[in-house]
Amino acid sequence: MKALLKRLNSITIFIITGVMVALTGLLIFFFVSYTKTLSRTESDVTYDKYYAMITDDAESSFWKSVYESALETAKEDNAYVEMISNNLSREYSQTELMEIAIASKVDGIIVTAGEAEGMTELINKAYDEGIPVVTLFNDNAQSERLSFVGVGNYNLGREYGNLIIKMANERIFLGNHITVAVLVDASSEDSGQNVLAAGIQETIDRETTENAIKHKRIEVELVPVDASNSFSVEESVRNLFLLGPGNIPDIVVCLNENETNSVYQGVVDYNQVGFVNILGYYDSEAILKGIERDVIYATLSIDTQQLGQYCIDALTEYYELGNTSQYSAVDSYVINKKNVAEYMGEAQNEE
Amino acid sequence: MKNKLRNLPLRIKLTGITLAVNMLVFVINIVLLVAMNNMSDKIDNVYKANLQLNEISISIKSVQDSMVEYLGTKTSDSLENYYRRSQNFTDLVDELNDKVTGSTLGRMERSIKEMSTLYLQEVGQTIDAKRGRNVEKYRSRYEEATKLYGYINTYIYSLNNEQFKENSANYREMLDAFRRFEVAGNLIMIVVIFTSTLLILKLTSNLIRPLRSLTGAADEVAKGNFEISTLPVNSSDEIGVVTKAFNKMVVSIQEYIEKMRESAETERQLKEKELMMETHLKDAQLKYLQAQINPHFLFNTLNAGAQLAMMEGADKTYEYVQIMAEFFRYNVKKGTGTVTIGEELELVDNYIYILNVRFSGDIHYEKEVDKSLLNVEMPSMILQPIIENCVNHGIREMMGEGRIKMSVYAMDDTACIRIEDNGIGMDEETIDRLRNGRPVSDEKKDSNGIGMDNVYARLKLFAGTDDVLSIESDGPGKGSRFTIYLDIKEKRDV
Repeated sequence: MKALLKRLNSITIFIITGVMVALTGLLIFFFVSYTKTLSRTESDVTYDKYYAMITDDAESSFWKSVYESALETAKEDNAYVEMISNNLSREYSQTELMEIAIASKVDGIIVTAGEAEGMTELINKAYDEGIPVVTLFNDNAQSERLSFVGVGNYNLGREYGNLIIKMANERIFLGNHITVAVLVDASSEDSGQNVLAAGIQETIDRETTENAIKHKRIEVELVPVDASNSFSVEESVRNLFLLGPGNIPDIVVCLNENETNSVYQGVVDYNQVGFVNILGYYDSEAILKGIERDVIYATLSIDTQQLGQYCIDALTEYYELGNTSQYSAVDSYVINKKNVAEYMGEAQNEE
Repeated sequence: MKNKLRNLPLRIKLTGITLAVNMLVFVINIVLLVAMNNMSDKIDNVYKANLQLNEISISIKSVQDSMVEYLGTKTSDSLENYYRRSQNFTDLVDELNDKVTGSTLGRMERSIKEMSTLYLQEVGQTIDAKRGRNVEKYRSRYEEATKLYGYINTYIYSLNNEQFKENSANYREMLDAFRRFEVAGNLIMIVVIFTSTLLILKLTSNLIRPLRSLTGAADEVAKGNFEISTLPVNSSDEIGVVTKAFNKMVVSIQEYIEKMRESAETERQLKEKELMMETHLKDAQLKYLQAQINPHFLFNTLNAGAQLAMMEGADKTYEYVQIMAEFFRYNVKKGTGTVTIGEELELVDNYIYILNVRFSGDIHYEKEVDKSLLNVEMPSMILQPIIENCVNHGIREMMGEGRIKMSVYAMDDTACIRIEDNGIGMDEETIDRLRNGRPVSDEKKDSNGIGMDNVYARLKLFAGTDDVLSIESDGPGKGSRFTIYLDIKEKRDV
């Protein structure tokens, strides 16, 4: 201590005092900056436009991906898109959500509409209130919707048709009779599904008459799936496997992510791997794994990025130019065992 | 500035240091306290939003209730209630955010606001329709309003939930920050206390340092070491004053010691001198004793010679030798000590006789003596050396007849013995020299060994005063005059 004291000359005293003052300053600085961080939340960022997005199954990774893309695009235009069902503690139907969106006086609504009459009314009501509505994925052509962004269902059907033909040629089926079950939403009065089913049927018909599959008869049937509530899809799909031997379809065509997952799980659970072939929809990680394990033959994926982006582009264009194109088609592509690896990589990278 | 600080009194300096350090600690403490207070305020704020939402929820319910009541009863009371409540609700809703914000909460608030506005319109229309008895319209409006009421409630409920979720996260974060801040604050306090202690120690030791060196110096002085250098005086506070005084004290002690040493030195020298003089005296006495052998021997042999001359019938020789023997006996007997004037005169008579025999009656000696003074005491061997001096220096060197006159007379209480000669006299210088007791010339030859200086000194010692012998001369060739003044009281009883 004494030696230490001896070494302390006036300079060190000055330094010590300086350090103490600096500490005080640091403390004040820390305190002030911390107070600022606390008071500054995200709320000081504001957007010009507020769009609502309403989808049938907001929790699926498909729609999440679409929403994220839409949000990203919207933010570039200083707008914000909200999946309005996400923050609500109650489950509302799409029509109710539409009502809420209209009552909230949003600047635009993106909705997976369908052709239901109630939806048409609501879209028209929104139109009357000056709110542009973009239908997403499922159109409501008779309404006053601003624009439709989706896949060409007929083209989609043809893709599935081609895949079925390809499978019929590649794989061995018991007997010459190949049954194809296309899962369709029972509750939806959506014309898109029908168009899609028609696309499949037409493709198969053409192929079977024109080309090689002379010995095999391919029979396409639409299997309605109850999508009215969260668990009904799974129940409906299970029913498919309880039909008994010979009645289980050889090929199941799924038209959404949820169905694909359910069928995939069902095939595994009922020991039908190799007997029931799945044509999936969307490229979630689970589905990609299914392809990799050869449970799912192939999946049709839609560019969700484009889907989200086009919706916002339509709304932005409407606000900038007063109008926009009535229909925007997004790309779709097939993922099968051959190219699944690159999508897996992407999926992992995205995570 | 620095000097000014240095010159402050010690008490103020110490108080200043303590005050400064305390102030620093106090300021830091205050900052910490304010910060913590602020944080806890923020934590309180977290729940204010929830409170606001609850108010809105209650308010909208009251609006809905009053509408239903009016629709059911159509009383003016319920209408009044409705107006009041809807106004209250409007006020509450107005406070809500209407911007499209980045945060979900803000956007939900905005939705609630928009829907509430719409709801109020619907309710208003319902009421209006009811008042206008338009049953169909008010029913459909009522349904619309109720639907909206449901949506709004859901939104409020959801927003409350969301807010609670976010606030909980915030709360945790804040609590964490609070803890961190607490730790940081405590650490800083510890550092501050440590450094301030160091500072106080250092500053006070700076203050005390001169005191310490003063103590050290005082210790040295107490041990007897006065050879210390003066302490530096840096300040004019109490310590400075004491240091200055101490320096002065040490210097004056040193000076005093120096003086003491010097006087001791002189004393020592003096003592040494005295000792030497004593040695010399002893030496002289020894020599004198040696010289005494001769007179005894001489006196005895002279006595033998006198008896021989008497036996041979040579009366003159006998007388001469007898007188000479007398003369030497006196020398031997009264060499030291006190005698009477009479004895001295007798010696002078003998001496003159001897001289007259030697120099065949050249000296004419006259006596004029007051007989009553013969018993007056005086030192021995005084008159004879004076006569000898008169003879040797006064008479022998002059031409013609030498004359010496001896007068003894009383003057008041003083007995005066005057010896006059008619010799060559003396100049002032010689008189001075005699007076100061220095030998005039080599007197050793042809004398009995006692010089004028000795005479003078012994006279002075005897009388205890300087005015015991006056030597006068009227100038060269006019003779000289010696006068001895003796106190008559010193008379020997006969």
